[in-house]
Amino acid sequence: MHREAAAVAERPETMAARTVLSVENLVVGYPVDGRMVKPVDGLSFKVHEREVVGLIGDAGSGKSTAALALLGLARPPGKILGGRVEFDGRDLLKLPEAEIRAIRGRDIGIIVQNPRSSLNPMLRIGKQIGYAYEAHNQASGTEVRRKVIEMLRMVGINDPESRAEAYAHELSGGMAQRALIAMALSSKPKLLIADEPTSGLDVTIQAQFLDEMWNTVQKTGSAILLITQELGTLANYCDRVLVLHEGRIVEDAPVRQFFANPQHPYSQQILKLQRERGHSLGLPPVEAGTRPLLATTDLRKTFAVRHTKKLIQAVDKVSLTIGRGETLGLVGESGSGKTTVGRCMLRLLEPSSGSVVFDGEDLVKLPPNDMRRYRSKLQIVFQDPFDSLNPRWSIRRILTEPLDLHTKLSTADKRRRAEELMDLVDLDRALLDRRPRGLGAGALQRINIARALACNPEFIVLDEPTSVLSPRARVGLIELLVRLQKELGISYLFISHDLTTVRYLCHKVSVMYLGQIVETGTVEQVFSKPRHPYSQALLSAHLFPDPTNRRVDSVIPAALEGEIPSPIDLPHGCYLASRCPHVVEACRATPQALEPLEGGQSVRCWRAVAGEIQAFGGAHA
Amino acid sequence: MLFRYISKRFAVGLLQLIGLTIAVFFLIRLLPADPVSRLVGMNASPEAYAQAAKQLGVDRPLLAQLATYLGFQPEIAPGLLQGSLGVSWVTGTPVTAEIAAYLPVTLELVTLSFILALAVAVPIGMFGALNPGGKADKGVFVYSLFAGSQPEFWWGLLFVYLFFFTLGIAPAPLGRLSPMSSPPDVVTGFMTIDSLIAGQFDLFVEALHHLMLPVFTMAFILSGPIIKMVRQNMARALQSDFVLYANCAGLPKRRVAGYALRAAMAPSMTLIGILYGFMLSGAVLTESVFSLGGIGQYAINAVLNYDYPAIQAVVLVITAISLVVYLALDLIHAAIDPRIAF
Repeated sequence: MHREAAAVAERPETMAARTVLSVENLVVGYPVDGRMVKPVDGLSFKVHEREVVGLIGDAGSGKSTAALALLGLARPPGKILGGRVEFDGRDLLKLPEAEIRAIRGRDIGIIVQNPRSSLNPMLRIGKQIGYAYEAHNQASGTEVRRKVIEMLRMVGINDPESRAEAYAHELSGGMAQRALIAMALSSKPKLLIADEPTSGLDVTIQAQFLDEMWNTVQKTGSAILLITQELGTLANYCDRVLVLHEGRIVEDAPVRQFFANPQHPYSQQILKLQRERGHSLGLPPVEAGTRPLLATTDLRKTFAVRHTKKLIQAVDKVSLTIGRGETLGLVGESGSGKTTVGRCMLRLLEPSSGSVVFDGEDLVKLPPNDMRRYRSKLQIVFQDPFDSLNPRWSIRRILTEPLDLHTKLSTADKRRRAEELMDLVDLDRALLDRRPRGLGAGALQRINIARALACNPEFIVLDEPTSVLSPRARVGLIELLVRLQKELGISYLFISHDLTTVRYLCHKVSVMYLGQIVETGTVEQVFSKPRHPYSQALLSAHLFPDPTNRRVDSVIPAALEGEIPSPIDLPHGCYLASRCPHVVEACRATPQALEPLEGGQSVRCWRAVAGEIQAFGGAHA
Repeated sequence: MLFRYISKRFAVGLLQLIGLTIAVFFLIRLLPADPVSRLVGMNASPEAYAQAAKQLGVDRPLLAQLATYLGFQPEIAPGLLQGSLGVSWVTGTPVTAEIAAYLPVTLELVTLSFILALAVAVPIGMFGALNPGGKADKGVFVYSLFAGSQPEFWWGLLFVYLFFFTLGIAPAPLGRLSPMSSPPDVVTGFMTIDSLIAGQFDLFVEALHHLMLPVFTMAFILSGPIIKMVRQNMARALQSDFVLYANCAGLPKRRVAGYALRAAMAPSMTLIGILYGFMLSGAVLTESVFSLGGIGQYAINAVLNYDYPAIQAVVLVITAISLVVYLALDLIHAAIDPRIAF
């Protein structure tokens, strides 16, 4: 009762809203080794007209299975075992085949996670969208064609006439996602199910994209069920939150209430950081004035383009410093060169020029044998926890491998060290004799961290370690990294595109764009007063998990236009000039240098240095 | 683009053919066989032997023989460059003419068998994939066990017994037409086409009637692997994301099945091409059972008689046809699946 009252208070106009979808006790099962595994087991919830409902849950909680089941479908060999899916007063699961087919796509549209493989690879996308439209509407050939072009234009595809002739493999992920949306919305469904529609998209595109979707729903008066793993998406776009855990809804609350006062232990876990710590985790302070542990100067890395004399400028004159016990965040869109910087620091890739000074020694100049001594001091944790562990080795062997290479410990000591490492990363020692198979991404990433810690490193490159984790595992990993830094005094380079996590973990931030650092400063400086137009765009596009400052309720600052230029033929002047809202003629001609500002912040934009660019309010700091 | 690709494939094919020609030329001459004594008999006088050897040209050095065969010495005998495959050592007729007589028989048989097999097997495979575990699916399983486990000549004999001897609905397995009919003028060598060109519709029906059992036998054998392949590819396509999404978008069932079939047929093309090339020479068992006298039988006779020009010609011709068939199927594959780039 209490919850409903709150819902009414939050959105008075939904008071009399009709129920569009009502799910009761839905069960979906998959036969595994002769028995039924039920990823969706007793799912019940409602969606009302004009409502954006968020569905959040861990990986494997049954989100995508549930989404399909709402259409009466299950990925083979799965089966819907029971329950009701009532739409417009009819139980979809009891309808004859032909009638439910008519409802799919016409009344309920769906956008799925993997847009490119969901488009037929053998048909031009215009044709496919046309088929979807024809299936539900009476229309002549030219009308269908006109509708297709109209839909493609509506989802923001430039030059829809020629894009309609493209095949799925010729489209980028974002483009394919838009095509899929055009298909899903072509018959103006009353309910849109969006299953992680922005996974795999870059931050800047993701926000644009969700904005468009939100606007469309507001315009057409339909409802959305938005399935996500991102708290930011929930907070910024949803009216109500459903929490899916072990196949059923464990919490159903209006969005503000959910963030302010989550009821279920799972919800409390994923919201722990926001609720207990606000924006910052109280990182251990860094001693000022001491010599930095690691400093790169003018680091460059180029790659040759095959069959040409051209070079890709992956990293361009990057200078960074990281103190002892300090975390530097490196942020930017995919392709900005973040990962390459991290690898050059450890000489996993040989830098083309520049220096990497670690503890007074230039690593770049070291002969390979001497470099090996430093390997144990500088470690890396990769993005994909599955691929970075040998699936045929036991955890114990994985953890003792670095000890074999870098220490002369006895077998008993190595065993003891492995156990210590497990304790250090909060994993059960019993896992030591298991293999990586069957462990979740969160546990595997902890093992990766434990392996990196094995030889007491002083510096670890963390290359997007949280990006494939579920919300709960992500919270745990962030806490772990902070604790390890406090206890062991390690320095991190934290590479990420997730600004929320960066804000929790980092002392300083550097923003990269096309291989260059465009802005550096403390977290407070960059998050509250970003100076570079690119940092501003990145921050304004980021979805912070704060329902009191929703993106849909505020005026959205101008986004960057167009795509990242090719790193092969870089412009002569400012690299951002082609996309920058503040561009003037002089920008295109003058190469930009990273200039210091007051307070240690530095920025690569002459207009920002001259104070000509408004430091935007840092909406979420 | 397409033209460039086709010309490139032809150029590569030509190189392959040249290489193969030379390789086969030397390989058969490595055989511990003496075609001359085979021709003149064991008891022939040395003079007769030498004369025969001279006549066949085998007394000359190998490279000289090769040059003649390739057509670099047209003053001695026309060779490949002149469009001649040489003269048969056994019959004395030009091999080109013999191939022209034998090859169409096999091509007709194999092509018709493939058309029949595809017409039957594709829908069955598709149906099996759409209704896995259904009655049709189980029936197909039993059938493919059966058809695949027995050799085709055995099936041929069985069908002859059943349809000719017992039921009497098929003609005797004695060639392409009944012995009483006179064949139409040879234009293409294909009995069915030639009879139509000659306007003799009764002969056309008769030719088809005689092809009925051999085609049925071959199609019976061929359908097994094709059904399996289509079913498997189709089942995989049905589990793909884009079929699932097509269902999500509420496309009609027929269209969804069409999506899956198209996705299933694209990779099947390669196997069909290989099967076709294989069957060109592998049809010999069926040809023998029905006394059809195709290229397979011709090849066997050539080998048994050490008829080198004939052996070379058969290898060359079958390879050339296979290359053309592969190319055609690759083009079809590319037309079905736009992801294939030339």
